[in-house]
Amino acid sequence: MADAMAVNTGRATRVARSHLRRRSPLARKALPYLLVAPAVIYLLGITLYPGLYAIYQSLFRVKFNSWTFIGLENYQKLFADREFWGSLWNTFLMGSSALAIEFVVALGLAALAYRDPWIRHWRIVFLLPMLFMPSAVSFIWKLAFNDGRVVSDILMRIGLIERPLDFLGNVFLARLSLVVTDVWQWTPFLFIIFVAALQSQDAELEEAAQLDGARWPQIFWNVSLPMLKPIIAVALVLRGIDIVTMFTSVFIITGGTPGGATETMSYFIYRTGFKRFDFGYASAASVCMLVLTVIIAQTFVKRFFRSARE
Amino acid sequence: MARRRSRNRVASLTLRYAILIAWALFCIVPIVWFLSIGLRPRTEIILPRPLYLPTFTLDAWHMIWTAWPMGAYLRNSLVSIFGSVIIDLLLAIPAAYSLARYRYRFREDIGFYILSTRMMAPAIVAIPIFFLFRNLGLLDTVWALMLIYAAMNLSLVTWVVRSYMLDIPPEIEDAARTDGASDLKILILIVIPMCLPGIITAAVIAVIFAINEFLFTLLIASTQSAYTLSVALANFTGGSDGVIYNAISMVAFLAFFPVLILVIAIQKHLSRGLTMGAVKG
Repeated sequence: MADAMAVNTGRATRVARSHLRRRSPLARKALPYLLVAPAVIYLLGITLYPGLYAIYQSLFRVKFNSWTFIGLENYQKLFADREFWGSLWNTFLMGSSALAIEFVVALGLAALAYRDPWIRHWRIVFLLPMLFMPSAVSFIWKLAFNDGRVVSDILMRIGLIERPLDFLGNVFLARLSLVVTDVWQWTPFLFIIFVAALQSQDAELEEAAQLDGARWPQIFWNVSLPMLKPIIAVALVLRGIDIVTMFTSVFIITGGTPGGATETMSYFIYRTGFKRFDFGYASAASVCMLVLTVIIAQTFVKRFFRSARE
Repeated sequence: MARRRSRNRVASLTLRYAILIAWALFCIVPIVWFLSIGLRPRTEIILPRPLYLPTFTLDAWHMIWTAWPMGAYLRNSLVSIFGSVIIDLLLAIPAAYSLARYRYRFREDIGFYILSTRMMAPAIVAIPIFFLFRNLGLLDTVWALMLIYAAMNLSLVTWVVRSYMLDIPPEIEDAARTDGASDLKILILIVIPMCLPGIITAAVIAVIFAINEFLFTLLIASTQSAYTLSVALANFTGGSDGVIYNAISMVAFLAFFPVLILVIAIQKHLSRGLTMGAVKG
C-alpha cells in the first residue's frame, strides 16, 4: 500500500515536471479557458446580447423605424394590462396541469413497466408520439378536436355527450385540448427517463426487501422512489422549462382563443411584437419573462443538477 | 392461502397489462388514424361526421412533391440542421473537455452558465434575434437558422459530452501524458474516440430538437428559401380550402421515420442524452 502510494506520487511529480518543461505556466493555466471560451462567447452572443437589447428596447416606443424614449412607460402599461396577466395565468394553469398529469402518468407507467419482460417494446411504443414534430402533433389534435370533430364523434358514439363539443369556443375545453396535446407528446419524455433511472438502481436492494416479505407497492414506495428523487427533480425541471415556453400548439390549434383564454406568455410576446408590431412593449414583456426565468434557474436548476450528479 | 395469493397475482398482472395496453393504444391510435388521413382524398377529411374507413389514395403524397416546393423545404431542413450540429460539436467538445478535465477558477460558474442557456425561452430572445439577423441581412436564410439551432442545442451537447468524458478513467490520459502527448493530441486521439457514443447521442438529440424548432424558424423564414419542414406545415393551407391535412400528414411522416431510426440507434443512451447527462441509464 505505502509502496504503491510512493510510486503514484513519483509518477505525479514526473508528469507535472514534464509539463513545466514543455510549456510556460501561463499557457498551461490559460488552456482550459481557451477551450471553453468559444462556446461561452457564442452563447453570450445569443443570450446576453439579446437580453441587453430587450432591456434597452423596452424603454422605447418603437413604431417601424422610429424609436421614442419613454422610460418605464411600457412597464407601467404592462403591469396594468389584463392580457399580460392573463397570459401569465394561462401559462401557469395549462403548464402546471400538463406537467402534473405527465408526471403522474409517466411515473405510474414506468413503475408498471420497468421490470416487465417486454419493457423494450413498451418503450418504443410509448416513445412514438415524441418523435413527431410538435407542429405535426398540433395538427393531429387540431383535426381531432376541432376541424374533424373526431373526439366529439367518439364521445357521442359512446353516449357520453349529445352534441359535438365546441373545443374552440369553451374556455375549459380549449385549454384542455392544449393540455391533452402536450400530455400526448411529452409524457414519453418523463417515462423514458424514469424507466432508465429505475432500471439502473441496484436490483439487490429490491430483492432484499422482497426477501424480507415486503410487497411490491411498498418496495416501490419505500425503496425505489426515494432513490429516484434527484432524477425526478431534473426531469421535471427540464420538462417544466419547455412547458413554460409553450407556443407551437397555441399558434396552430387555438391562436389564443377564446378571448385570450389559451394565450401563453410566449404567444403574448409573439402577438405583441409580430402582429401588432409594438416591439418596445413586447420587449418589456420579454424582460419580465427573463426575470422569472433567471429566478427559477437560480433557485431550482443549480441545486437539482448538482444533487443529481453527486 | 397460497391459492389466494396466486389469484391476487393474476389480478394484479391483468390490471398491469390493461393499463399498459390502454396507454399504448392512446399512443398508437392517433398515429394510425393520422396516417389514414394522409392516405385518403381531401374530400373525406372534414365531414359533418368523421369517416373511419376512407378510400385509399396516394394523392397527398404526389401533391406534396408537385404542388409545394418540398425539395426546397427538405434542403433547408437538412442544411440548417446538419450545419448547426457541426457548429455545436466544434464548440462543445473542447468546452466539455475543459469542464470535465481541468480544475480552474469559475469552472462551476461557467458550466452552470452554459446549462442555464437551455432555459432561455425562445420568446424572450425572439425579438432581439429578429432585429440582429435583420441588421446582418440574414433574415430568411438557412444561415440564420443554422446559427440559432446551434445556439439552442449547444448547452445540451456540451453537458452530454462532458458527462461521457467524466466516465473515462483519467489514468488513461495520464499514461499518454507521461509518454509526452500534448493535451490537444490526447483530446483528439484518446478522449474523442472513447466518448464517441456520447457525441453521437448528443448529435442525434440536437438533430431532433432542430427538426422540431418552430418559433425562431417562423420568425426568420418568410419564403421557401428558408422554410423548414416544421414551419412549412403551418403553411399548408389552401386559402378557401382550409388546412390541407392529408398533405400535412404525409410531411409529418416524412420527418417521423428518419427520427425513429435515429432514436432506435441511440436507444440505450436516450435517457442520458435527454437529461443532459444527469441519468446514467
